[in-house]
Amino acid sequence: MVSPFVWAILISFMEKTDIIAVPPRIWPSKWVFANYIMLSQVAPFFRFFLNSLLISSVAVLFIAITCPMAGYILAKFNFRGLGFVFGLILATTFVPLETYLIPLYLTVKTFGWVNTYQGMIFPLLISSTGIFLLRQYIMSIPDSLIDSAHIDGCSEFGIFWKIIFPLSFPATSAVVIVNWVYTWSQVFMWYLVMANTEKMFPMEVGLMYFQRHFITDYGGMMAAAVITCIPALLFFCIFRTKIIEGIAYTGSKY
Amino acid sequence: MQKGPFFHQWFGRPGSLKRGRIIFIWAVFIPIIFLFLSIRVFPIFTNLSLSFTNAHLIRPVTKFIGVRNFFILFKDLQFIRAFRNSLEFMVIAVPGEILIGLIFALLLTRKVRGRNIRGEGLFQTLYFIPYILPMVPAIIIWRFFFSPGEFGLANYLLGLIGISRVAWMSNPRVLLLAIIGIHIWKNLGFFLIVFLVALKAVPRDLMDAARIDGASGWQTIIRIEIPMIKPTLLFGTVLATLIAWSAFTEVYTMSQGSDVSSGAEIQVLMLRMYQEVFTYSNTGKGSAISMVIFIMSVIFILIEFKIFKGKRI
Repeated sequence: MVSPFVWAILISFMEKTDIIAVPPRIWPSKWVFANYIMLSQVAPFFRFFLNSLLISSVAVLFIAITCPMAGYILAKFNFRGLGFVFGLILATTFVPLETYLIPLYLTVKTFGWVNTYQGMIFPLLISSTGIFLLRQYIMSIPDSLIDSAHIDGCSEFGIFWKIIFPLSFPATSAVVIVNWVYTWSQVFMWYLVMANTEKMFPMEVGLMYFQRHFITDYGGMMAAAVITCIPALLFFCIFRTKIIEGIAYTGSKY
Repeated sequence: MQKGPFFHQWFGRPGSLKRGRIIFIWAVFIPIIFLFLSIRVFPIFTNLSLSFTNAHLIRPVTKFIGVRNFFILFKDLQFIRAFRNSLEFMVIAVPGEILIGLIFALLLTRKVRGRNIRGEGLFQTLYFIPYILPMVPAIIIWRFFFSPGEFGLANYLLGLIGISRVAWMSNPRVLLLAIIGIHIWKNLGFFLIVFLVALKAVPRDLMDAARIDGASGWQTIIRIEIPMIKPTLLFGTVLATLIAWSAFTEVYTMSQGSDVSSGAEIQVLMLRMYQEVFTYSNTGKGSAISMVIFIMSVIFILIEFKIFKGKRI
């Protein structure tokens, strides 16, 4: 399953003559790093990485705070219209971002946020799945905890920050991790639409634009592809169990 | 100004519990809900209304033209081709992902001589890695794999088995199938994990009771496990349908290459929408295409609901 990726790594270390050899070679006869060194002259890949990092971090931070808040209110409060709002959230959970692309683009355009970080982050701030999951989780927090906090004179904000937020940590971390992976590897169309100058490209879009430099330079192309995959892979190696648990949690709550 | 009892009934006395809750809701919930509505709900209506106009990114005058956009679309040969490609995408990718994910998940939960299969974690990880990786590098790597030159590994491997070379990149029918295959390869891990978790939640005593009553292994699978995970199957199928209809990155990246002569033939609806809005600046038509995608997705999701909820458990 991962063999294409492994093969790409091997190719990125091969010389040009090795790559187009017939029959195709799997193992390089000589390990060269020239492909990777050439990369930094072709495109500012590090800048792309920083862009991706910024976008994902801000989006995920926002989600980590708004999802528990919304989930807490949906789970523990009761007023008119709350059920309707919950129904709306449920209904829009699965709809992918690309469906709203045109109106979102027009909205962001009227704000003048095209080709800015705000514009790229804007639709990633709300996660319907996240709110739904947090609601289900917070519903299991006993009401007596909250009531006793009220009796002891805790303010509403205090209750949220000191009780609900720490207690809902497992669900929040699952949502955070799933959304990080999502904003890093699975949002492409929106970034493509938003980023118009080189400096603003996230990793995938940068790779997309610069692949025309490598038309026959397969070694360089593979090196660029590998570099784009490295952060996601690193993240996966560090958080492997958490990621799989998070995805399983997201998928199993229905 | 003295606030009367009516005001206090709704907004609480100063410093009261009720007042605290109301302030919390207004300061926290309303902004979040407003953001949610403007990102997730209002755009659907904007899409709908735009699709009935001839809105344009550059031309400032917008006129309401009714369903003319849709008529123009359905007569457009390129649109019909894209529509057929999207349909093909869904028809092949959704059953592919669900079935293969289900089969692998079932395999991983078999007990061999009373013990679980070893290496389950490794298997999970291996299949999950393609899901984590971004799509663009994956497509670039696969494109090299399917290269038409002498060094294209795909043709080489086929040659080893004895099958003649396939024109992966220049034959659009084959290329679309290859792209769908890549799509399935990438998303398999997700469905594998979801189904694995669901299968593990099936209570073991049900299975043991069936075993005692004389059911064979195959029967326990068909009659017990699969019906027990029906909600998860429905969820998976709906999700697979949605991501199949909104497939964009794969096709866009593939057709940006220099050795693909069939860019227009493998176009998918979402790519067509992108082209319409950002190359031809025609947001009205683009919204119409978006509505078509939305409606087709909803139709198939309703069909799937019927299939999964209609049969008796």
